[in-house]
Amino acid sequence: MKKAGLRGYIIKRLIYAAIITWGVVTITFVLLRVGPMSPADKYLSNMSARTQDPAQVVAAIEARYGLDKPIYEQYFDYVVNLARGDWGWSFSNSLPVVTLIRRHWVYSFQLILLSMLFSATLGILIGVFSAVKRYTRTDYLATLFSFIGISIPNFWLGIMLILIFSVQLGWFKSYYDTGLPMFSLANLKALVLPVITLGTGMMAGYTRYARSATLDNLKQDFVRTARAKGLPERVVIGKHVLRNAILPIITIIMFDLSGIVFGGAYLTEIIFGIPGLGRVSFNALFASDYPVVVTITLIGAMVVLLTNLATDIVYTRLDPRIRYD
Amino acid sequence: MTEKKSGQISDRFGGRRNLVFFSGLLALVAVILLDIYLEAQILEPMGYFYIFFALVATCYALYPLYVNRRLTRYYWERTRRHRLSVLGLAFIIFLIAVALIGPLLTPDPTKVNFDKKNTPPVGFTIQQSVFDTKTDQLVSRETPGTWQHPLGTDEKGRDMLAMLVSGARVSLQVGLLATLMAIFIGALMGVMSAYLGGWWDNALMRFTDVMMTFPFFLLLVFIIFIFGPSLAFIILAIGLTGWTGTARLVRSETLSLRTREFVMASKSLGASGARIIFRHLMPNVISSIIVIATLSIPGIILAEAALSFIGLGDPTVTSWGVVLNAGQRSLDTAWWVAVEPGIMLFLTVLAFNFLGDGIRDAFDPRSQQ
Repeated sequence: MKKAGLRGYIIKRLIYAAIITWGVVTITFVLLRVGPMSPADKYLSNMSARTQDPAQVVAAIEARYGLDKPIYEQYFDYVVNLARGDWGWSFSNSLPVVTLIRRHWVYSFQLILLSMLFSATLGILIGVFSAVKRYTRTDYLATLFSFIGISIPNFWLGIMLILIFSVQLGWFKSYYDTGLPMFSLANLKALVLPVITLGTGMMAGYTRYARSATLDNLKQDFVRTARAKGLPERVVIGKHVLRNAILPIITIIMFDLSGIVFGGAYLTEIIFGIPGLGRVSFNALFASDYPVVVTITLIGAMVVLLTNLATDIVYTRLDPRIRYD
Repeated sequence: MTEKKSGQISDRFGGRRNLVFFSGLLALVAVILLDIYLEAQILEPMGYFYIFFALVATCYALYPLYVNRRLTRYYWERTRRHRLSVLGLAFIIFLIAVALIGPLLTPDPTKVNFDKKNTPPVGFTIQQSVFDTKTDQLVSRETPGTWQHPLGTDEKGRDMLAMLVSGARVSLQVGLLATLMAIFIGALMGVMSAYLGGWWDNALMRFTDVMMTFPFFLLLVFIIFIFGPSLAFIILAIGLTGWTGTARLVRSETLSLRTREFVMASKSLGASGARIIFRHLMPNVISSIIVIATLSIPGIILAEAALSFIGLGDPTVTSWGVVLNAGQRSLDTAWWVAVEPGIMLFLTVLAFNFLGDGIRDAFDPRSQQ
């Protein structure tokens, strides 16, 4: 009975995910067509051969990319090509978009992964600590710090870190070195400033959530029972409180992806010259290389969708109290 | 007789202010459509935003606050208890004053003067190499800060103070107008979704899910990339993408209100759908809307700053993001160009966060202190 309910829930979630994917793809298509520049113009602005009659060139481009077909057929082609993994051609890099993505995603991935690890670990630690020592000077200091962390614009923080640690002190390079092997200490060192840039705002948020979640749990009966049993405070906090507080925090971390993390990673990559997807999309913007911009926007949306889906499903396994209907 | 009739019409919309608001909105939309149709440019695009802002602010903030003076005083007393939020409010008022009066007192922020380039702020002195026209050689000379440019100048000799004042204006415009737009759309979506229920609710909420799936900043960049940057369009784009959180919150609040006794009573007395929405549901969710509005202003100000920082802002206005971008390029010669706009941005965001926190505690009766 319960199993069938869970399976039904998962199937329902998958159908929702499919509908949302379709919506996301459709919105990008509509935006592209509604825009003041037709796709052919965008292609044309990338061509250096201007000796020919522009009208002829446009016609050729439209025929080549199927832009002369009726709009519903274009839409159908767009969806089918995306689904088949044919994401178009990047003019500014002279590469298929798929190859471009395959080359660059890992830089974004390592930056985001390290920043999330850094901010989640530190944020939860500081938050729990500040809840345990609530209303002391430590707690106020942590609260002030989290307010500052949330309010500081991360791209400005990045520039300030470069100004202090690269320009003035010369401890780190201001530019990310792409020649470094992925799993090396030098690479880790090159990522220190970017990770702090991206992670500080997130860490401040997690500190606040962890503090309030811990405070909620400290009031619960099971904590009193645990203390009455004579368990040391270390076990009460580390085992009983933390375990209950951590689930909601993990959801928040997952749902942060769409709002804070991707936007932040985009800017961080631009400031430090990390050749991740954000930087690739940024370069493509100014080259009017629209297949790249579209694909990276779609990839962002898909990653958000899949993490949300995974969080929802894993959650029903982890927390038996959740109802799924 | 006629008075009674007008009373009935305004009652159907849940009070006179709703009637005023909607007729104003209709008139505004009519003028905009006429403007687009005639291509007459009756008003600058920003002008329409201001009228819309004034309309909403009068009908839904100033008028109710003026009518319910006792409640106003109560909210003020509660907000005032947060010392930090009063500090935030003071800074915001100061910033508004700067944005309104400042441009009259400062020089033109776009005026270039290469003789005065890279002048440090008052109290600082830097060594910089200057081209000496007499000897045709680069000489190293000390450049002290002067009171003529109290916050220094950038690499093109533009006055930093003037640029910061202009940036304050841009940030406040975007922060207030775009937030208002996003909140308005979100509230409308949320209330409609919860009140209509069924198929409509499903469709609107799935659409909200789709919009939420897009990473906010990536979607913004994508839209600006397609439609081109102008300040009015950036405000519109932020408004059209940033409403999802509000829609969800308002929907859930309305859903819980919908089955409450006073709504049921009103329904059984034969009240129309519009009357229930505007007279009973909206006023009860408005405090949550105000809180979420204040708390979403900083994110929106940052989004605009980030857009102009990466070069997707309106090229005709000097915003803090643009100055910051210039500052990043001259970090080793003129540090203050990057530091000053960032500090302003940081303080503004901090002020709105403090104020939002205070208002949240004041409007939420559950958080008794």
